[in-house]
Amino acid sequence: MFCGTKTIRASRGFLLFATLLLLPVALAAQDFGARDRGPAQTGPPKTPREAAPKDFTGYWVSVVTELWRYRMLVPDKNDYQFVPLNPEGRKVADTWDPAKDQASGEECSSYAAPAIMRVPGRLHVYWQDDHTLRVDTDSGTQTRLFHFGGSLPQNDPPSWQGFSVASWEGDESVDTRDGQGGPIQDATGRLIRGRVLRQADYLKVVTSGLRPGYLQKNGIPFSANAKLEEDFDTFSDPYSGNTWLTVTAVVTDPQYLIEPLFTHAHFKKLPDNSGWDPTPCRANEPR
Amino acid sequence: MTSTNSAWKIKALWFLPLLLLLPARQARAQADITGEWSPRVYNDGMDIGDYTGIPLNDAGRLRAESWHPDQIDLPENMCRPHPIDIGLRVSVSQLLITKELDPETKQQIGYRLHVAWQEPEQVIYTDDRPHPSANAPHKWSGFSTGHWEGNTLVYTTDHLKEAYLTRTGVPRSSKSTVTTRIHRYGNYLNVTFIINDPAYLTEPYIREYSWVYTPDQVIPPFPCEMTPDGTILPAGSVPNYLPGKNDVLYDFATEYGIPPEAALGGAEQTYPEYIKKMKTMKVAPRTTTTHFKRAG
Repeated sequence: MFCGTKTIRASRGFLLFATLLLLPVALAAQDFGARDRGPAQTGPPKTPREAAPKDFTGYWVSVVTELWRYRMLVPDKNDYQFVPLNPEGRKVADTWDPAKDQASGEECSSYAAPAIMRVPGRLHVYWQDDHTLRVDTDSGTQTRLFHFGGSLPQNDPPSWQGFSVASWEGDESVDTRDGQGGPIQDATGRLIRGRVLRQADYLKVVTSGLRPGYLQKNGIPFSANAKLEEDFDTFSDPYSGNTWLTVTAVVTDPQYLIEPLFTHAHFKKLPDNSGWDPTPCRANEPR
Repeated sequence: MTSTNSAWKIKALWFLPLLLLLPARQARAQADITGEWSPRVYNDGMDIGDYTGIPLNDAGRLRAESWHPDQIDLPENMCRPHPIDIGLRVSVSQLLITKELDPETKQQIGYRLHVAWQEPEQVIYTDDRPHPSANAPHKWSGFSTGHWEGNTLVYTTDHLKEAYLTRTGVPRSSKSTVTTRIHRYGNYLNVTFIINDPAYLTEPYIREYSWVYTPDQVIPPFPCEMTPDGTILPAGSVPNYLPGKNDVLYDFATEYGIPPEAALGGAEQTYPEYIKKMKTMKVAPRTTTTHFKRAG
């Protein structure tokens, strides 16, 4: 048990050696963590389905807490209070005639992609294949396909649900400087070298190729030039235990809108398909 | 003694190289939510008797029905701040988010939200500090602690004073807990509120609003001056409706052709099945289609 001076010196020397040996490993690990989260990729790249940062699949039911009377009822003609319509859009909205729509086969105008997520009802979300997330709605019995990769086919005719390009988003790079030319340091004062990545954590869907339809049940129009950008997120509420799906949509339509229209839709996750109630498109019904 | 101390020092030193192998705390860059944000807020629920979409219970409904719009003219209410969960939902809710720094160390300890209307401010602490005791004073914007979940700043607010969910008297109690999620999508900022109120709600009340990044926005000051008691209303009076005596309660439902009981809120009417149920309810003959009259 006696520790002589030589023993102490030898031990200190070994420790110094071991420390110096492991230091580059530790620094590399920290740098790796700062630059590129997750394990190194080996083998083929993940499919969008495998790369999903969150699980959006399952059955969901609308919870209508916003703009209730515009969604649970068919609003009056000319009631476009919360839509930034331009004069041309108002002129078109003022001609809305649901009976005419029903008779002329245009009854799905208000179930198109820019409107369908706000039509009260249930969603069934599932993977059609490794690259396509599918959303079926019971209201209007519509199907939306979110294609990971690809672009709007040139020869496809416009449709109510258009062509949706999906991507996992949120993994943006950030500036490694602090705004004054200096490098960023972490909380412990270490320099962060290289760019920092955040992991993707939400679903972005951009839809175009739309057949002109309605933004709202009462004939507020969108044109064939409209573009729909949606951000889907899902999370749990710690107080109620509910799992929520939120859909934030931004509709841009230079033909009928003064500025982009922002809408929100909220869904609560269901354990099964109970309550699934498929309806046909109806021009004069809220769903 | 010296030899023994040296031996312990050596033993302690053995751990040093091992410490280097512990996972380093990752330098996690969060989304930058700071800056000036211009609202794209569509503020519904502005009519007396419009409790649609709110999972109100009977107690909440009773309180809401007793609310009189002239209460806004009471001196104590004129400059009463909106809690930030309400302030962010009115149409002039220009928003400024800044980093909250420790005054001494200058390290970031959270974020500060400032809203134009009535100038409420809310500090969201992200430094893992605990919430105060249940008996601590409640404030208009409560006490908030938060953390990042990926790109979303999630924070919980409690210690709120009693306030309103709408500008027309739907109450939110001081027992409420509000979970807020702030997410930046490119140049858009989304704020989702989930209000849990055991006193007046039967289910969580979820609302969501959006802002657009507007770096050149200037939020004006919001001066507010109280007029003395008795100037607008008779001194000492508190306008109200006694239970069952609110003669304008159903004006909203009549105006829009909504079954009266449907307009009075409740969790059931936030689900799609309620559309069928409404078809079996009586609707009062519509007296007008002139919309957008406002009260409160």
